[in-house]
Amino acid sequence: MKVEGFLFLLCAVFFAVVDAVYWFTSYDPTGTTALGIAVGLAFLSGFYLLFTGRRLPRTRPEDNPDADISAGTGEIGFFSPHSWWPLFTGLSAALAAFGLAVGWWLFLIGMLAVLLSSIGFVFEYYRGLYAH
Amino acid sequence: MTTTQQPVPGIEETPPPARKGSIIAAWASSTDHKVIGHMYLITSFFFFLAAGLMAMIIRAQLLRPDQHLVSDQQYNELFTMHGTIMLLLFATPLFVGFANELVPLQIGSPDVAFPRLNLFSYYLFLFGGLILLFSFLAPGGAASFGWYAYSPLTSAVYSPGIGGDMWIMGLVLSGFGTILGGVNFVTTIFCMRAPGMTMFRMPIFTWNILLTSMLVLLAFPVLAAALLVLEIDRKLGARVFDAADGGAILWQHLFWFFGHPEVYIVALPFFGIITEVLPVFARKPLFGYKSLVGATIAIAGLSMTVWAHHMFTTGAVLLPFFSFMTFLIAVPTGVKFFNWVGTIWRGQLTFETSMLFALGFLVTFLFGGLTGVILASPPLDFAVSDSYFVVAHFHYVLFGTVVFAMFAGFYFWWPKMTGKMLNEKLGKWHFWTLFFGFHGTFLVQHWLGVEGMPRRYATYPANAGFTGLNEISSISSFVLGASTLFFLWNVYITSRHGEKVTVDDPWGFGNSLEWATSCPPPRHNFTRIPRIRSERPAFDLHHPHVRAGRPVQPAGATRPAVE
Amino acid sequence: MARAAVLAVLLTSVAGCTSNAFTRLGMPKPITTQGKVTLNLWQGSWITAFAVGALVWGLIICTVIFYHKRSDDLPPQVRYNLPIEVLYTVVPFIMVAVLFYFTARDENYIDKLSAHPNVVVNVTGFQWSWEFQYPDLGNVQVVGHPVDVSRLASYSGPQLVLPVGETVRFNLTSPDVIHSFWVPAFLFKRDVVPGHPNHFQITTTTTGTFAGRCSELCGLYHSEMLFTVRVVSKQQFQQYIAIQQAAQKAQAGSVQ
Repeated sequence: MKVEGFLFLLCAVFFAVVDAVYWFTSYDPTGTTALGIAVGLAFLSGFYLLFTGRRLPRTRPEDNPDADISAGTGEIGFFSPHSWWPLFTGLSAALAAFGLAVGWWLFLIGMLAVLLSSIGFVFEYYRGLYAH
Repeated sequence: MTTTQQPVPGIEETPPPARKGSIIAAWASSTDHKVIGHMYLITSFFFFLAAGLMAMIIRAQLLRPDQHLVSDQQYNELFTMHGTIMLLLFATPLFVGFANELVPLQIGSPDVAFPRLNLFSYYLFLFGGLILLFSFLAPGGAASFGWYAYSPLTSAVYSPGIGGDMWIMGLVLSGFGTILGGVNFVTTIFCMRAPGMTMFRMPIFTWNILLTSMLVLLAFPVLAAALLVLEIDRKLGARVFDAADGGAILWQHLFWFFGHPEVYIVALPFFGIITEVLPVFARKPLFGYKSLVGATIAIAGLSMTVWAHHMFTTGAVLLPFFSFMTFLIAVPTGVKFFNWVGTIWRGQLTFETSMLFALGFLVTFLFGGLTGVILASPPLDFAVSDSYFVVAHFHYVLFGTVVFAMFAGFYFWWPKMTGKMLNEKLGKWHFWTLFFGFHGTFLVQHWLGVEGMPRRYATYPANAGFTGLNEISSISSFVLGASTLFFLWNVYITSRHGEKVTVDDPWGFGNSLEWATSCPPPRHNFTRIPRIRSERPAFDLHHPHVRAGRPVQPAGATRPAVE
Repeated sequence: MARAAVLAVLLTSVAGCTSNAFTRLGMPKPITTQGKVTLNLWQGSWITAFAVGALVWGLIICTVIFYHKRSDDLPPQVRYNLPIEVLYTVVPFIMVAVLFYFTARDENYIDKLSAHPNVVVNVTGFQWSWEFQYPDLGNVQVVGHPVDVSRLASYSGPQLVLPVGETVRFNLTSPDVIHSFWVPAFLFKRDVVPGHPNHFQITTTTTGTFAGRCSELCGLYHSEMLFTVRVVSKQQFQQYIAIQQAAQKAQAGSVQ
């Protein structure tokens, strides 16, 4: 994960340098804060990738320029075959968002729907047929 | 002899066509990135047509001076929604659509990292967009404060009515969809590449999607936050964007901190499409892969530091800093341009429709880039900001990038996505009417702006001297609008009578992995993946006799191939 | 350095040409000293832009003409060329550095404010017209009224009168939303931001009547928020002020 992590860290360093230059030349709090938060995001992501990357094998098959496709045999992961929960959650979120514009009653109904559909979404593959 | 057909063992019958309802249900609950990609592309294109119609009305209004086809209120709503839809409901979801269709294929993965989240992101886009469209039906009309929604015009005092609130919440919803899409693509690209697909063998399109997704993560939360705070101002009486406390400039900083990366978010993926198309039709590898990656990283990084060049005329920003950073961005953009030219230089070019659109992009974006460098200079910006010069500039860069590259991508990847080739003859009619329609519309607008015609003006007086160029612009815009009909007709007849593609790579010289699987690919993309030893694994698979470093023409060539 | 020299030569030669809409590339004839500086920068920048454009368009067109497919042989599969890539990174960098130098120099001149301008004008942009006030000249005021859209054809808005050959300082304020004060003949505009007063200064050079337009979306009648600037000789300006002062006194008197 070295390339990936350093990609984010490079951005973090660049934003930090620019932020410092920006603050000392303009004394504008808004832009400085925005860039500062961008430093935070880039640093967080880069650091996370490098840190968790240490737990992975030194060279994953995809980082090995001489790897054969057979190096990646085995289960890649679980891929949901199809799901209705994204639609339900999406509709709920839309209801809540529209409710913010229309009135509190609709917003509360929407948030209730969001709560219920999120629970359904998250637990979809832990219930019923998939319970283990 | 009996005439009944005996089933022949080993040959399957074509299954009966599925009922319409079950196709819709299958798509609505699909977690297949290819189907979700179709939905994104179709929905974005629908928004493109809607906003395009609005543009036709705008141009019809400006055809003659002192016209009142639509009222001032309606006109303000039209350009507000035209801009909002084109940028946030067409160009942005379009990139997500192309990314969905191609990234997993290009990196050799069976799907994206979070398939259900992918579908959820689509619904957030769809419903957010619908809320925005329906705002036209609000009692006070749709939002009419311009797509960048400057404060205090957007306050409850100066823009009362639910139309503005629907605009805000629709964008919050679709913005969240885009953020989640960004998360999905970064994870997919980092964690799901096939063996041998190192970061520096990924196709440039995938690199651009990665960097775009990083920009999405950096920029869209700022938009979402600013929009929610604006909504709180409007609904709950908060005073965050109050003019007396510097709220007007605060909004502009926050908005443009998002707004400038946003235009690179909608540009970079389409640069990626062009980078995929040019090598195939030049029959050469991409020129300068590493410097292209470096240039794109530079553009992405710099794009976060230039936002206030949209605020030069406010008198509230540090001009030299933003001017210098903006000038700087021209350098990596120029590098990309020269790499593209280097790719086609000394190639064996053929001019299929997809290639025509790619070349059309090069010709168009170049001029938009040059006017951008002009605008980067504050003294010049003071003269032409908020005039039709800026309108012309951004249409050259945005339309030149997004629309030209979109059609280049459509004609290029239609066989991969649908299993059929779009008709070439119709495609050429499409290209040429679009090309001349576009340039006729927007080239003259540079002059109009410089002469003194402001943007967002519902009408102009006859004595202003703007009539002639506006007439040219409007009539060309109708040609531009009509050019879309060629494309729609092409799509229709291809779906009905198009010849099915039987090979993996109908173009013959495809480079990236999607050209090493069937047209269209199976549910999880590959039945077998070829060995990956370069940045063009499909080309290596189909042309194993060509090895970089060996000359491919007979002895006597003036310049040996360089590794 | 050679590039700067060439630019300077081209700039001076262009400036010396008979000025018309084409040599000014569409810009109105500037009526201020600052506008003339802007115009020179505009012309120089466009010369550079067209040169770059000609090169790149030329390369594209040459490629399309000379390298269309002639046989089924694959062309040399060239992947990179380090010297050329370095060249087209470094040269554009130098070019933008030069552009930035001229930009910074001209920007400093245009934004300069002097301590004692000859005339001060307080401009208030409001929905949807303009008010001009001369605070040092007896508070002479010109107030515009939002126009009825149906009368647009004959409407030109409130008129701001200025003397020629004098420095004029503008103070821009707004009581409501953001507007922008644009006089195309100044080759300049500045936003009128509520909560953030702006100031700029010009030195007029030419008499005449010139259009002014609001150039920041400010609501319903943004397109009708027009005004004019009339630059007159110093004597005419004094006469104008005297007449306005008298008229205002008379009005104030009649109200009592």
